[in-house]
Amino acid sequence: MTRRRFTLGLAVVAVPLVLALLGPLFTGAPGPRSGSFTLGGEHWLGTDFVGRDVWRQVLHGGRTVVLTALAATALAYLVALPVGLVSALTHVRRLEELLMRPLDVLLAVPSLLLILLVASVFSPGAAGIALLVALVNVPDAARIVRAAAGEVAARPAVEALRMQGETWWRIAVGYVGRSALRTLAADAGIRLTGVLYLVSTAAFLGVGVAPDAADWAVMVDRNRTGLFVQPWAVVVPALLIVALTTGTNLLFDAALEKTPRQKGRRP
Amino acid sequence: MNHTTGPVAEIRDLRVEIDGRAIVDGVNLRVRPGKVTALVGASGSGKTTTGLALLGEYPPGARVTGEVHRSADGLVGYVPQHPAAVLNPARRVSALLHDIARPQVRGLPRAERRTAARELVLRSLSDAQLADGEALLRRYPHQLSGGQQQRVVLAQALLLGARIVVADEPTTGQDALTKSRVVGQLAAVAARGIAVVLLSHDLDVVRALADEVLVMRAGRVVESGPVERLWTAPRHEWTRRLLDVQRAAAPRDGTGIEAAQPLLNVLNLTAVHGRTTVLRAPHLALHPGECLAVVGRSGSGKTTLARCLAGLHRDHDGEILLDGVALPRSLRHRSRTQLAAVQYVFQDARASFDEHRPVLGQVARTAVRLRGADDRTATEEASATLGRLGLSDDLAHRLPGELSGGELQRAALARALLARPRVLICDEITSGLDTVTRRALLDLLAGLVGDGDDLSLVLVTHDLDTARLAHRIAVLDAGELVEQGPTGRILAEPQHAFTVSLMNATAHLEAGSRFRART
Repeated sequence: MTRRRFTLGLAVVAVPLVLALLGPLFTGAPGPRSGSFTLGGEHWLGTDFVGRDVWRQVLHGGRTVVLTALAATALAYLVALPVGLVSALTHVRRLEELLMRPLDVLLAVPSLLLILLVASVFSPGAAGIALLVALVNVPDAARIVRAAAGEVAARPAVEALRMQGETWWRIAVGYVGRSALRTLAADAGIRLTGVLYLVSTAAFLGVGVAPDAADWAVMVDRNRTGLFVQPWAVVVPALLIVALTTGTNLLFDAALEKTPRQKGRRP
Repeated sequence: MNHTTGPVAEIRDLRVEIDGRAIVDGVNLRVRPGKVTALVGASGSGKTTTGLALLGEYPPGARVTGEVHRSADGLVGYVPQHPAAVLNPARRVSALLHDIARPQVRGLPRAERRTAARELVLRSLSDAQLADGEALLRRYPHQLSGGQQQRVVLAQALLLGARIVVADEPTTGQDALTKSRVVGQLAAVAARGIAVVLLSHDLDVVRALADEVLVMRAGRVVESGPVERLWTAPRHEWTRRLLDVQRAAAPRDGTGIEAAQPLLNVLNLTAVHGRTTVLRAPHLALHPGECLAVVGRSGSGKTTLARCLAGLHRDHDGEILLDGVALPRSLRHRSRTQLAAVQYVFQDARASFDEHRPVLGQVARTAVRLRGADDRTATEEASATLGRLGLSDDLAHRLPGELSGGELQRAALARALLARPRVLICDEITSGLDTVTRRALLDLLAGLVGDGDDLSLVLVTHDLDTARLAHRIAVLDAGELVEQGPTGRILAEPQHAFTVSLMNATAHLEAGSRFRART
C-alpha cells in the first residue's frame, strides 16, 4: 500500500518537474504569433491571450515557478524551524516573546502589500521575490512549528531525555522535530501551493516575473479571460501546478507512513 | 445464596480466535441477577474479551464459536476501564443522559414529558451514587474526575434499564479510599437485583465484592467457585500463586539507618502551580541505602514532591540539598553528576520513551551522556542491565510500541539505573500492572536497595501494600506533609486522622468485609 502510494506520488510529481526543468531544452525559436485564444491549426494546445503557442509557453514556464516556489518554501522553513523549535522548548518566557512577537507584527501586514511595498523600493528579480515570499511565510510557518512542537515538548519523553542529559540538538531535532514531522510536511505541501499563487499574483501586478512571462502561474492568471473560448491555456498550467503540489504531498505521506503493524483494538 | 434464580445470561463453551490464536478458549459463565461474578487474571488473560462477549462484541477479525444466551430483557451495560472514551466530549452530562431518557417518556402527554425525563435522569444519577447529581449535569465529561465519569457511564447503563453491568477494571490506579467507594457503588447496583460482572486484577476488590470468582489464565478458566472457598482453599496452582503474591511483603525494619548523614535533605519546600500552593513540606530527609515511601491520595501533591526532587517542577521555594549542597531547581541547570545522582522513573512508561527508536539505544544513551561511556560499552551495559531486569535482547531491540506496559516499566527502570544514581525516584511505577508483574517489580526494587550500593529509593505510591516495602513512610494529604516515620510505626499506630482513614480503607478491603447487607 505504501509502495503503491509512493510510486503514484512519484509519477504525479515527475510530470511537472520534468517539464519544468527539461522543457526549455526542447523548444525551438518562437513561431509567428496568431490571433488570441485560437484552437487547433498548427498550435497543438491553441494560442494564449497574446497569440503565442500555449505548448511552447508551458515548456518554458515551469522553471521559474518551480524553482522560486521551492526555494521560497525551503527558505521559509529554514528560518521557521529553529525559531519555532527554540520557542517551543525554552522555559525562558522572555526568549519566547522575543522570538515570536516580532513575527506577529509581520503577520498583521497583508503579505501582498508587503511584497508590493518592498518591490517598489528595490525592484527585485526572481531571487529577490523568492526571498520576499519566504519572508512573509516565516510567521505562519514558525507559529505552526511552535504549536506542533509545543505539544510534543510537553510529553514525558522530553523530560526523560532531559533527565538523561541529552543534547539540545538530539531533543529538538531528533525527537521533537521528528514527532512533529507529519504536521509540518502537511503544512509544507499547502504552503507550496500558496507560495506558487503568491508569486503569480505578484507577477500579475508587475512585480518579479514580467506580466506576460512564460510562467505557469502567470498563464493561469492572464488567460482566465479566455477560459470558455480556449480552455487549454488555463487548464494545462493549472493541472501542472496541482500535480506538483499533490505529488509532493503524496510523496511526503508515503515517506512518513509507518510500517503497517498488526494493531488489534483492545476490545 | 439463592440458587433458584435463573441466570440472566449464560456463556457456553466460548472460543474466540484471532489469526488462529485462541484468546478465549472453552469459557463457561452464568450470570445471576443480584450477584457479582468476578473474572480474575493477569492482563491479557482474556477477561475483557469474555466480558465483551456478553454484549455480543468481539475483536475485529475474530472467529467465534460457542453460545452466548441472554434472557429477553437482559440488556447489558458496559463500564470501560477508561470511561472518558465512551462519553461524547462535546456534550454536557445532562444531554448525554436525556438522550436515553427521552424515548422512555414518549408515551406520556407532551406537557409531562420534560419533568418525567428529568426525574428519570436524577434517579439514575442517585442510583449510580452520584450524590451531587444536579450540579454535575451542567458539566462536560472532561470537567469530571475519572471516578465521576465512571459513575456517569454507570448511570447511563442503569437509565437504559440494563439487567447486567460489566465493569472493566473499575479500580485500576485508584487509591484505597476511592476503591472502597467503587466497591460500595457496585454493591449498591447488585443490591437492586442487577447482575454485575467484575473484570479485575485487584484481588482486594474481588474479595470484598464478588460472590462467584472465575480465575482466568491465557484464555482458559483454571478455577471457579464461591469467593470464600477460593480464598480459603484454592485448588489450582495459579490461583495459589495469585493469592500468595497478594499476601507477601512484610514491613521492613528501618532501625540503624537514620543514624547516618542524610543523603538528600528537603528544607521548607513550598511548590506552586500558577498561584495555588500545591505542596508544603517543612522537612524531609533521605538517608543512604534507605527506601522512603511517599503515600497519599491522587491530588495530594506526592508527584509534585517527586518532580521537585528530580528538577522537573521548577516553581518552588525552599532548598533541596544533596550531600549538603543545594541542587539547582531546574534539571537544566544541574551538572551531569547531579543529574546522574538523582534519577526519576515516570509513571507512564510508554509516554516516556521515544516511539521511533528501539528501546536498547534509548536506555544506553544514559551511560553515554551522564557517565561519558562510549557507544559500545554503553550498549553492552544497557543490554546487561535490561537482562538483569528480565528483558531479553530480542525485546530490547524492538520499538517501545511493541513492548507491554510491564516490560516498558522495567526498561524505564534500566534507563535510570544506567546513570548509577544515588537517589532513584519511582513515581507510581506499579499502578496499572497486574499483581504478579507488580510483585516481581517490587521484589526487584527491594533487591536494588539491599544490594549494598547505598542506592536510596523514593517510592511514590497510593498503595499501602507497595509502601510496605519501604523503611520509612511520609504521608501527604492535600499538599501537606501530615506524618512521617518508620514503616512499622505508621502502619501499626498511625497518628494523623488522614493516615488512620487511609489505613482503615485498606484494611477494610483486605479483610474482604461485605458492604452489602446479605439476606
